[in-house]
Amino acid sequence: MKIDAAIAGIGASKFGRGLPDSQMAMGTVAFKKALEDAGLCREDVDGISIHQGSPLGVDYDRVASALGLQLHYVNQSWLHGRFVTNSLQHAAMAVSCGMADVVACFTSVSFSRERAILAGEGDHEANREEGGSHGEAPLYGLESPGSGAAMAMQRYMATYGVTSADLAAVPISIRSHACQNPAAIMQNELTLEDHQSARIVIDPLRLYDFCLLSDAAVVVLVTSSDRARDLRQPPVRIAGLQGIQAGREEFVFAPPHLGIAQQTFAPTKTYDLANEAFEYAGATIKDVDAFYTYDAFSPLVLFSLERFGYCGRGEAAAFVQDGRIGPGGSLPVNTSGGLLSEAHVSGWNCIIEMVRQIRGQAGPRQLPRSEVLHWGTPWGDSAILTPM
Amino acid sequence: MSDTNHLPTPRVSPDSAPFWAACKGGQLELPVCATCKKAHLPPGPVCPFCFSDTIEWKPASGRGEIASWVEYHMAFSNRFSDQVPYLVVLVELDEGPRLVSSIRDTASKDMRVGMRVEVGFEELKPGLIVPTFSPIEDNANGDLI
Ligand SMILES: [Zn+2]
Repeated sequence: MKIDAAIAGIGASKFGRGLPDSQMAMGTVAFKKALEDAGLCREDVDGISIHQGSPLGVDYDRVASALGLQLHYVNQSWLHGRFVTNSLQHAAMAVSCGMADVVACFTSVSFSRERAILAGEGDHEANREEGGSHGEAPLYGLESPGSGAAMAMQRYMATYGVTSADLAAVPISIRSHACQNPAAIMQNELTLEDHQSARIVIDPLRLYDFCLLSDAAVVVLVTSSDRARDLRQPPVRIAGLQGIQAGREEFVFAPPHLGIAQQTFAPTKTYDLANEAFEYAGATIKDVDAFYTYDAFSPLVLFSLERFGYCGRGEAAAFVQDGRIGPGGSLPVNTSGGLLSEAHVSGWNCIIEMVRQIRGQAGPRQLPRSEVLHWGTPWGDSAILTPM
Repeated sequence: MSDTNHLPTPRVSPDSAPFWAACKGGQLELPVCATCKKAHLPPGPVCPFCFSDTIEWKPASGRGEIASWVEYHMAFSNRFSDQVPYLVVLVELDEGPRLVSSIRDTASKDMRVGMRVEVGFEELKPGLIVPTFSPIEDNANGDLI
């Protein structure tokens, strides 16, 4: 792969709910911290990759004018969390092919103020004629992004004999990680009883199966490997990438062959695992020291583990028991607390945690080994991060 | 109070217009490929299986099974605030395609993946007629594999 890119700087705002700051103000804090981290100044940044545009986030033209940037490379997507890997990939491609020297992946979101766009009258995309972007069908009250995850989980439960109590291991384990992260919004241990006694939101999902709706900003600075070597921090190599998987067998919140949306259901067939990112990185799934994923809803962790081959089909609910994905487990997942318990920065909180782990800067959460970290989403894209 | 007047009007394109027109006449119709005979949803301009351009709209059996279902215990908009808890189902028609719908006269304790259902129609608001489903007993193999 002709990608020659590294993460040279990271920065984050305070994570919280109901924060008073504008998205631009939070993003500016994160941007300044990322520049300081890398030892760069704003004049060094000539590209921007924005994952979440207005109104949930910010738009490239306003960021450039508000922060006094002079940009000649821009990539932007507007609403969906699913474009997190895309945003990083565009930055890596731009610096690899010389379209930019330093690209800021700039994400700042206020779910507190803008949550009305997620469901109901404010969600204009839900009325797409083929169904909403997460399978929504507002005529029937199938609203909010959690709808698709709930529909997929109900079938998964019926197919594989999995219960809500089994699923609870996901938010409980990820909460345990958050308890070791002072920046995480949720700081108290979550018990099985807490999970099971919490209200049902969309059966089969309960309250703690849903991520936080928070306010936060993260900036990640991407540059070429050569340039990164000369900067302040040990560079983190973007060692392997693969794109979103789309097709008739794909649904954003369900693994192929679960039989959701228009997927076929073929119980004896194994996935065609799309793991090109590992080939590029010269690694295999067995080398992964920790896995990071888009845990907007707890079923998505099960689906991601299966999709990339950490366990077989229908086995993820058993796989996540007994602390295996928690602190000290054999495959820690989302070691800073993820979207479920740290903050919903559309996945970027996980990306900067991976960077901290590889640099050895994760404090009490530091993994014993952090040579190969895998970011992989339920919709099939990936980024492998390694030391340079 | 729920407010059905604020239900969205389906976004209808030339590809999906026959589906909604058939609903108005109390019929469930599907786009079927003239070449490979497979039906597909959502309606598109070509057959997604064999790429043929020739699509014919044909009446569906109206029968199928529950591929999955959910129950909303909170309303995410005021359209459904006085209906919680309410069920939403994903129906796999016997012809293969799946569609999201509602289910009548059924409690969540009686819901199961694979149960057999049959289509009916409901006028959600004046002029908006949509498919809805009801459980049936029949001989088709509705069991989950
Ligand atoms: Zn065909």
